[in-house]
Amino acid sequence: MKIMSVGAESKVFLNGNEIIKDRIKKGYRIAELDKKLRISRTKLEFKILNKCYSLGIRVPRPIKLSKSLTKIFMEYLGNKTLKDNFNIKYLNDAAMMIAKMHNRGIIHGDLTTANMIIKGDKIYLIDFGLGYFSQKTEDKATDLFLLKNALKAKHTKVYKRAYRSFLENYKRYSEEYEKIAERLEEIESRRRYIDQG
Amino acid sequence: MYVLGLESTAHTFGVGITDGKDILSNVRDTYLPERGGIIPSKAAEHHYSLASKLIEKALSESGLKLKDIDVIAFSQGPGIFAPLKVSFQVAKYISEKFNKKMIGVNHCIAHLEIARKFTGFQDPVMLYVSGGNTQVITFEDGYYRIFGETQDIGVGNLLDKVGRLFEIKFPAGPEIERIAKRGKRYIEMPYSIKGMDVSLSGIETFIKRIKNSYRIEDILFSLQETVFSMLIEASERAIAYCGKDSFVITGGVAANKRLNEMGEKMCEERKTKFKSIPMEYAGDNGAMIAYTGFLMKDYQQNDLKPKTNFRTDEVKIEYR
Ligand SMILES: Nc1ncnc2c1ncn2[C@@H]1O[C@H](COP(=O)(O)OP(=O)(O)O)[C@@H](O)[C@H]1O
Ligand SMILES: [Mg+2]
Repeated sequence: MKIMSVGAESKVFLNGNEIIKDRIKKGYRIAELDKKLRISRTKLEFKILNKCYSLGIRVPRPIKLSKSLTKIFMEYLGNKTLKDNFNIKYLNDAAMMIAKMHNRGIIHGDLTTANMIIKGDKIYLIDFGLGYFSQKTEDKATDLFLLKNALKAKHTKVYKRAYRSFLENYKRYSEEYEKIAERLEEIESRRRYIDQG
Repeated sequence: MYVLGLESTAHTFGVGITDGKDILSNVRDTYLPERGGIIPSKAAEHHYSLASKLIEKALSESGLKLKDIDVIAFSQGPGIFAPLKVSFQVAKYISEKFNKKMIGVNHCIAHLEIARKFTGFQDPVMLYVSGGNTQVITFEDGYYRIFGETQDIGVGNLLDKVGRLFEIKFPAGPEIERIAKRGKRYIEMPYSIKGMDVSLSGIETFIKRIKNSYRIEDILFSLQETVFSMLIEASERAIAYCGKDSFVITGGVAANKRLNEMGEKMCEERKTKFKSIPMEYAGDNGAMIAYTGFLMKDYQQNDLKPKTNFRTDEVKIEYR
């Protein structure tokens, strides 16, 4: 099988129109901690993929979980990440889906443009390895905060416009935008003051 | 041309001199409180009382006189205000009295520049771990940008707080490392990673709660394993996201062997270059300020006041 991509914590293999995401062993962590993290993340990722898929949120169609509980088989979405093919139009599309996920209590946990794939003229969300279920305002706001930082650091030229447009679209679909926006501001001001202590 | 650099953001007062190629001297003295953490006014007193002696020492080690120095660089922040303003005031005094150019240097950028110099890496991802700072930084489009950082307390502060629970003297890092070596049993602790950020304060709360139920060596072993795994994971995420080919660890906590071992292993597995830098240049030091001051020698700066919350991504990098 052909290795397609090496992410931060996994190797991805392509097999026809399916991929296998293998959450590989990390030798720097002690075996006990490593195994626990890999299995719990893979199981949860598979569960979230199923949940999103059934809700009509665009994610790769989940196929199965390996016996080892460290691999996920899922639909192959092609190789156009938003990171390498940035366009605000797609980010707006993602904003709509993220708002819908949040409404249903699903947190992505690692929102970056590397975890968004363009297929046809639609965007898909991938990599729920740090995802979890929560209805806490803080968790939803943190999701947005991470995306903001990822945009700011990597898509420096369009960042301001892109983020504003993202929020406008998120707001349109979010059921509790005011609360989340307020918390987001709190998180940001908290962060400005922790630099030294 | 010679640059003299002054560092005083926290415990250490450091003086370094460079000609831009070599470090000609790097001297320092660190304030250590009798008990507990840093008392800002005491640290500042310490720095003031030693400033002229250390500057003279640095000059004589380099075989230079103050008149040979062209630029006075000082660490402008981030830092604790009372000690931070010492290097500003000393630099200002010398600069006005002897008519020398003054350059304000961002402390975190200085760590990164000296790391680049000693590793030879052109464009690494840097994990910067000290008392108050825990950041993953790399260069992107004209600025050093923070890709990940702690959402609450710095890793050094965490180690010191946990140290205090076990009556380990400040700074607790080295003693924790020694005791942790004897630990065998891993106790599961809150592992909190959010994208490329980490959150560390939950671990202190957790340890307070379980402190009397386990052996100290197992607690400190598990503390190191958990925290360092989180830091290396956050770094690896930044390396993957930015597509960089090398990695360095710097800051006071970089003295920890286990942390370096983990960094090295992570890099080996993903075919990324890794090198340690000499501890003399990983902890706070004047040489890194002098060296970065040299790189910035042509900057025209209007605002030279100390900035306690000086962000890495505020400084436009014009020299690379
Ligand atoms: N379903 C998929 N279809 C196409 N490419 C994918 C798919 N899943 C992952 N990839 C590719 O593999 C890379 C790594 O996968 P990801 O799930 O993000 O794991 P990691 O946690 O290691 O980042 C992604 O950035 C993407 O390029
Ligand atoms: Mg990913």
